[in-house]
Amino acid sequence: MRAAPGSPRAETPTTIDVVEQAYFCVLSHHHRGATMDARVLLTAGFAALTRELGREGRDLPDAVMPALTGDRKADWAAFESVYRRLAGQRDELAVVTLEAMVAALGDATWTHGVRQHPDAYDGDGYGLGLETNAGSSPSRALPPLFVTAVRGGAARAAGLRPGDVIESVNGSAPFIDGTTVAPAIAALRPQYPEARPVRLRLLRQSTGRRWTVTLRPGLYRQELADLQVVRSKLLDGDRAYVRLTWFAGDSAERILRAIARLRKARTLAGIVLDLRGNGGGSLTEATRLLSAFAHGKVTGYLCAGDDRCAALPTDDTVRLVGLPLTVLVDRGCASACEHFGAAVKDLRLGTLVGGRTAGVVSGPAESYLLGDNTVLSLPDRYHLGAGGEVIDGIGVPPDRYAPLTPADAAAGRDPALAPE
Amino acid sequence: MRLIVAVVALLAATACTAPAAPRAAGSATPAGPAVLPAPTGPHRVGTTVLHLKDASRPDPWNLDAKVRELKVTLWYPTGQRDGPPAPYMTAEESELLMRGSRIASAPYDTLSRTRTNAVADAEPAGRKLPLVVLSPGFTKPVSTLTSLAEDLASRGYVVAGIDHPYESYATTLEDGTIAECLACDSNSDPGFGAGLVRSRAADVSFVLDELPAKWDGSGRIDQSRIAMAGQSIGGSSALATMIEDSRVRAGIDMDGTAYARIPPGGFSRPFMFLGSAEHVASPTWERDWKLLTGWKRWIVLSGAEHQSFTDTPLLSDALGIRSASGVLPAQRAAELTRTYVAAFLDLHLKAQRRPVLDGPAPGFPEARFCPCS
Repeated sequence: MRAAPGSPRAETPTTIDVVEQAYFCVLSHHHRGATMDARVLLTAGFAALTRELGREGRDLPDAVMPALTGDRKADWAAFESVYRRLAGQRDELAVVTLEAMVAALGDATWTHGVRQHPDAYDGDGYGLGLETNAGSSPSRALPPLFVTAVRGGAARAAGLRPGDVIESVNGSAPFIDGTTVAPAIAALRPQYPEARPVRLRLLRQSTGRRWTVTLRPGLYRQELADLQVVRSKLLDGDRAYVRLTWFAGDSAERILRAIARLRKARTLAGIVLDLRGNGGGSLTEATRLLSAFAHGKVTGYLCAGDDRCAALPTDDTVRLVGLPLTVLVDRGCASACEHFGAAVKDLRLGTLVGGRTAGVVSGPAESYLLGDNTVLSLPDRYHLGAGGEVIDGIGVPPDRYAPLTPADAAAGRDPALAPE
Repeated sequence: MRLIVAVVALLAATACTAPAAPRAAGSATPAGPAVLPAPTGPHRVGTTVLHLKDASRPDPWNLDAKVRELKVTLWYPTGQRDGPPAPYMTAEESELLMRGSRIASAPYDTLSRTRTNAVADAEPAGRKLPLVVLSPGFTKPVSTLTSLAEDLASRGYVVAGIDHPYESYATTLEDGTIAECLACDSNSDPGFGAGLVRSRAADVSFVLDELPAKWDGSGRIDQSRIAMAGQSIGGSSALATMIEDSRVRAGIDMDGTAYARIPPGGFSRPFMFLGSAEHVASPTWERDWKLLTGWKRWIVLSGAEHQSFTDTPLLSDALGIRSASGVLPAQRAAELTRTYVAAFLDLHLKAQRRPVLDGPAPGFPEARFCPCS
């Protein structure tokens, strides 16, 4: 914002040389890099490569994993020579190989192929224009799948409403015998340049109407007020309600100022901090916000590959708020948000209400630029909750479950805010 | 081509690199107060400050302010020779701006001792003068555009520089209180830029509404000849204002990412993008370029950086900041900014031909005409 941001250089094709660079980057910089068995990465990459060959109907008799010895450099050389024979110059095979290697780490990300729509303006959304109760993690969705918000675009034009149950996506059920069909649910969140229309079968429970719509992904305008990271209001005349969508660099200060403002004119009975859909952000900022509710505590741990852990203490220069705290969470609450939620629960700083959090907490990630101008993000430490427990992959359960139903969404009711 | 790609991949494959951290500005010994370069036009320059209050809308940032207050600094031709030069900013504003910008290499009142070329509250002169609105970059007071403003006034323009309170580290309001940067709280929010330029457009329209009644000299303004220019988000605000307010006939965006939404049918009034090398390839300028259907230019100055279009480089010696190598020297940056902005305004508000806008010109090798990727 301060300066015109420098445009990152355009991505170039991902080649086997880029995969090599990423492989050694992981081994040098990931928290498990020094201790891990590097063969795990190569095996995951090769498995993905053969799946892709099979998918294309081009599987080959000599698509056989080379024997690995445990020598990282020699194993890479063996892998690369087989790869070159199988793949030739086909870049898309390097992409699936690298994706699989990164996925095998569980807590790393590789950002590639994501582009801004050339006609997008600041604040525009891209996609179908709807949100669902699956949030951003399709594999963790629970039935039924339904619309929680209509933001604009094709979904608004087609008359979708919150509460509409999605019975099928492109002809596929989102759940089969209760098991999630992740690709079907992921198809609801196309990213530019994906532009294929998505066909939905919908059920509106209030009327019993069943119908089919075809939604074309595109740019849509959003209400600027809906995009603010911090929003606050008075709830029931005596509680401060603050919603935070992301732990940005100054979020704690902003939230505390919003509370102070609401407090100036009245006596507050408590604070409701709504972290549903909060995808994380700055761990430091989450810890600073926790410090408004407790001093002299450890809020969690960051641990290196050798299992030596550093405590994340409260910042006792932050003034205590001294009001009862309720924190709303759901499976959209990830990373720094879960660090916050776990500490609230473990240290008994307040009540967690809603649903289990995402279970996606990596340590703070460092970004590395690869030769194709894509970015690999690797945590150099892993995270533990205030009680020393693992949260990654598990999430934080709320003290009180208050799941949203299609009927709640249709009526605009928020069960997490309802009295117990 | 293939060969080059292969060589790059080989070199890069040896290690992955963490993206470079922003380069810390080097510090040097402060050189004493800055002196702004003399204006180049034939007229002497006067300046005065107005405080205008828009009771029709609350302040967008200070939720306790029911009224949007704006501070307008006017620069204009004068016949008056004598009188003390106007202050650049107050000592308090200097301190807040330096602290906000994390500059500690010089005394905090340094900027308030900057020597300007305009006589405070001098009697205006001239008639049927064109008007230029200036809007500064985010966190910056409009005084950071003084070198440009004084030069335009010396060339026969009335300049109305607007301080948009709470969008800068320091704006002294009419009652003497200082508005600090409340908007800085939310500047990383999605949609922030779009909202801010919309708000600035409303600020500018209000100033244009009020100026005739609130300034004695306004009878000297030709209300049919109004343009706007700004740096960074102030430049984006120029286009935002023009889209909303047909009184503004032409505009310049100096190195600002573009946030204003151009109507689907396009926009036909004259507009110029004037930028640093970063804007050779600029997604938002490329997007808008296609929608500009009238007279338009996209000029990139090699060696310029984001602040080259402001007074900042002129102040860096006084602040004890060593400028990076390869960047345009401060005097040259000011000269280029003054030249291209004045040429654009002369063409569109005074109907005077200005060949420097037609393409590469002798004496100005820094200018590249884009799209040029």
